[in-house]
Amino acid sequence: MTEKRRMTALRLHKALYSIWRNDPGWKGVFTTVNNNTIGNMFILGATGMFLAGGILAMLIRAQLASPQSAFMGPEIYNQVFTMHGTIMMFLFAIPFFEALTIFLLPGMLGTRDLAFPRLSAYGFWCYMIGSTIMIIALVAGVAPDGGWFMYPPLSSSAFSPGINADIWLLGISFIEISAISAAVEVVVTVLRYRAVGMSLDKLPIFAWYMLVVAVMILTAFPPMILGSLILELERAFDMPFFQAENGGDSLLWQHLFWLFGHPEVYIIFLPAAGVVSTVLPVMARTTLLGYGWVVAAAISLAVLSFGLWVHHMFATGIPHMGLAFFSAVSTLVAVPTGVQIFIWIGTLWKGRPELHLPMLWILGFFVTFVMGGLTGVMVAMVPFDWQAHDSYFIVAHLHYVLIGGYVFPMIAGIYYWLPVLTGRKRFFRMGETAFWLVMVGFHGTFLLLHWVGLLGMRRRIDTFEAGSGWELINLLASISGFVLAIGFGLVILDIAVNAFVAVRGRRNPWNAGTLEWGTPIPGPAYNFASIPVVNSRYPLHDHPDLPVQIARGEGFLGEPVRNRRETLAVSVSRGEPEFIAVFPQNSIVPFVMAVVTSIMFMAPTFKWWWLSGISAVGVTALALVWAWSGGSREDEGLLDAGRGVSLPTHNEIPHPPGWWGSLFLLLADSVLFGSLLFGYAFLWTVAPNWPPPRILEPGVLGPVLAVGGAGLASGGIRLADRAIRSDGSAWAGVLVSLAGLVTLMAAAATVFRGTTHNAHAYDATLWVIAGYIIFHATLAGIMTLFLLFRIRAGYLSSRRFGDARVVRLWIDYAVLVAALGLGAAWLPGILAEVPR
Amino acid sequence: MVPTPLALAGCEERLSAVHPAGPAADLIATLWWTMLAGAAAIFLLVVVLLVLAFRRGEGPSDAGADRQREMVWVKGFGLGFTMTVLAALTAWGLWIGERLLPRPGPDVVAVEAEGRQWSWRFSYPDAPGRTTENTLHIPAQRPIDVRITSTDVIHSFWVPRLAGKLDAIPGHVNVLRVEAWEPGEYAGVSGEFSGTGYRTHGFTVIAHDAAGWDAFLTGEMP
Amino acid sequence: MMDILRISVPITVWIAAFSAVYGLEGIVCSDLWTAAGLSLGQGRAALIASWAAAISLQVAMLVILRLPRCGSPLPWVQRLATILGFAALVATVWSLMPVATTSLCL
Repeated sequence: MTEKRRMTALRLHKALYSIWRNDPGWKGVFTTVNNNTIGNMFILGATGMFLAGGILAMLIRAQLASPQSAFMGPEIYNQVFTMHGTIMMFLFAIPFFEALTIFLLPGMLGTRDLAFPRLSAYGFWCYMIGSTIMIIALVAGVAPDGGWFMYPPLSSSAFSPGINADIWLLGISFIEISAISAAVEVVVTVLRYRAVGMSLDKLPIFAWYMLVVAVMILTAFPPMILGSLILELERAFDMPFFQAENGGDSLLWQHLFWLFGHPEVYIIFLPAAGVVSTVLPVMARTTLLGYGWVVAAAISLAVLSFGLWVHHMFATGIPHMGLAFFSAVSTLVAVPTGVQIFIWIGTLWKGRPELHLPMLWILGFFVTFVMGGLTGVMVAMVPFDWQAHDSYFIVAHLHYVLIGGYVFPMIAGIYYWLPVLTGRKRFFRMGETAFWLVMVGFHGTFLLLHWVGLLGMRRRIDTFEAGSGWELINLLASISGFVLAIGFGLVILDIAVNAFVAVRGRRNPWNAGTLEWGTPIPGPAYNFASIPVVNSRYPLHDHPDLPVQIARGEGFLGEPVRNRRETLAVSVSRGEPEFIAVFPQNSIVPFVMAVVTSIMFMAPTFKWWWLSGISAVGVTALALVWAWSGGSREDEGLLDAGRGVSLPTHNEIPHPPGWWGSLFLLLADSVLFGSLLFGYAFLWTVAPNWPPPRILEPGVLGPVLAVGGAGLASGGIRLADRAIRSDGSAWAGVLVSLAGLVTLMAAAATVFRGTTHNAHAYDATLWVIAGYIIFHATLAGIMTLFLLFRIRAGYLSSRRFGDARVVRLWIDYAVLVAALGLGAAWLPGILAEVPR
Repeated sequence: MVPTPLALAGCEERLSAVHPAGPAADLIATLWWTMLAGAAAIFLLVVVLLVLAFRRGEGPSDAGADRQREMVWVKGFGLGFTMTVLAALTAWGLWIGERLLPRPGPDVVAVEAEGRQWSWRFSYPDAPGRTTENTLHIPAQRPIDVRITSTDVIHSFWVPRLAGKLDAIPGHVNVLRVEAWEPGEYAGVSGEFSGTGYRTHGFTVIAHDAAGWDAFLTGEMP
Repeated sequence: MMDILRISVPITVWIAAFSAVYGLEGIVCSDLWTAAGLSLGQGRAALIASWAAAISLQVAMLVILRLPRCGSPLPWVQRLATILGFAALVATVWSLMPVATTSLCL
């Protein structure tokens, strides 16, 4: 590097740093919207939860070390295992890969931050606050105690009268905000925010995996969120969704929960597979074999995983043909898994594998995960599952899959990316010892637990009898469990020591080919001094000089002339430059909003509805403040993006990032609505005590209001959109739309008049459908009002009409769900009136 | 816990799914041992392939060589091998599942099991009015349909040496086919977590010979 | 975005068809089916017919994807979409096979 080049790079760094940096001091922690900072804090938070869940695991193994243990009674033990599962699944596994993704993705894709930086911050704070509440509940002895899948009626108010179950239902729903917001971010980022030339076939394989995982989160979490919502409604207002005597069915919960719960397992596995697909080729000094096949395997695995939820319900008395469908898919899902395993082995054969520490962990993953996969195929066999279900065989199986298939690859990933995370080179070599402790401890704990399960030991029993034949295996498992814990403790200690005291390392020590190794380490707040141009999957291998070119500003947006946070958005397929995205400044709003949201969610635990209501207003107000701060009051036209290309900003394109974010949020929302309609149909066909004693009669008023409201709402916003694009007055259109939305609400409200919320599961379901419609009409109405004020303030013009498009999307969604929901609510009444 | 002096198995195997005492548990145990052998073989194959990867030198890295590798690893192992094994296993598993279903037959005896926190009540359509708490009487060597339900939360009826488990769900009646080869006592437990009393939520199945069953039905025996 | 659809639609249609057939099985085995005056034999016929329809739909999508007008301009995407189209077809045949091979409502 010549002196002049270094000067250019340094000057550019200073200029970009002053634009992108966090606020100084403690304030910066709460106002940061930077993916590197949030990623780091998120990783620390999730690691803390891993420790908490691990301590609970140790309590469990201490309890089960000997028969007739008096260490804990069932009241405490039930909280301990429930929280162990809950923490590990919801507060560790999912957040940890989200954290890693938030940290790594912009670097891998060659962009400056994630698509919605404030959303990253909001999601992170929701996670931290929610996790803290769960831990406080645990310490206070009011933690949930019904098992991590919370089956009603055990979790209903009749059998769980305390606040324990409410804390689970409300707390977990609240924490899932972070999963949903991270998922929206990841989808939009991978699709639109990439290096120039990074077409779909050149995406880093980890980005493909995370795109798939993010879409899975958006489609898998809503059923559980709906389940939690209606179970909480049952607990709070006696709406009998799960009470058989009033037409409810506890199996509905199981369907909704496992509709989430099984994809969830693959949501956890696929990021780990993404890490393996990224790290393993580098460790083998080669490139990934069959890249396209890996992508195909990940996508088909993801979708197949939505067709096997009933394999958690093989023992619930569903007819054998129904079970057979899910048994077949459960084995089929092993095919793409097998394809990936063999591709990884083939990649090792292709290259020259070296036994660095990340590779060691990947080998641990292979051995452990393959065993877990094989026992998984066993329990996919319906008859075998009838014996193994809810025994320690399942406990052993799921730990092989989750620890072997997730934790080991994640540790491999942390060691691999340690230079990017910390800027340091590993020198303190406790890691190898820790690895072997974990391996010995893990298999010592869990291998023989399969056998004790077949000998009849059920999961979740608080102790067992002497002479049961399980004593020796349990003692061995407990001793090994502590070895395992020491091993994990050493891993964390090793990483911490290396993160804080090791010497500065050089860039790209593994000689990897992907872009996250092309920035200085640790990555600066802006990640890339200029947006690189790539033409292969391994740009650093093709152009070893690329990092220098990036630092000198020779890519896109290499001159921060406009003194604001800008990055480049590209076309979905080909990765051609499309527009300049202007990112928000540091802001306290996400943190404050997370605090207020937590009050909104948690106040109902104590039946403080008024507080929840006030907080809902607060959240809305903060969201409006948030949304108001974007946009521009004047047309900027085409701006210089560097390399001779001129592009508009995101304010001046028809479908701005907010539209894309809304689209994927609505995908999640529509899955929730679909789950609601599924629940309605399910109850009607399967639940006892149907049909209901009284069926809602549609009448005339409701349908007329619905049709009129739908027409006005979607017609009005289209008029407004046209007026804005021709610089005319949009007021009339906006007001018509608003009137339409109010009419829709009135139409939905007619449902309340004809039903009683707690009379029958039918009535309760109709109330939720009508409430869902009213909620969305209200939301769209608030957005429409917001649009009105934005128009008045001059934020819209014939070039800047993206806001209107976002509002149109939400109005159309409200109209759609009103049509479908009210149609479903009125259909039985209409059919009853048809003469037979 | 229910006292269980067992005739046919040591105390250590009284809840064992791999010490079958009836046709259903026996079929499932056979499935298990076969799958265990198959899984062990596949696991060894993967380990051998992994070890070999470290033992051999770097291969050629041109596009043709990669196509060759995709043939072997993706189409050969990944698709061909896994799909063959899994198709065979799925078909066998479903065939076994079909054989375990409660099909009607002349010899079938129906009994009713009702779970609650934390006991089991059994009744007998062949002896109307007769109920037993925490002890289920059945005839040996005859197919039994246990009609299972619950009055409160979800439980699961599980006698591991006779058959797999089936849930007791409020508002539903599930039918499980069990059969004991020999007269004797078999331990049963609830297999679905149900709160603080879950651990001790067990029962005993007493299988009678033909004469004993008649005696039970006529009320000559408790 | 069209490319994303080419990649994702066939396998999504599989999950939709799979869920729909499972739902149909639920209806056939519920009281509603007999209340409507239909027999289990007709239920079996309806299930097999919907399996056949789902397979035909997958084949049709594969054919459409191969049409020059409908395929992706990017060869890599076209190949990925084809692999996933075949995966969806195999999934349809495999996962719904029980409609013809297992007992109904037992």
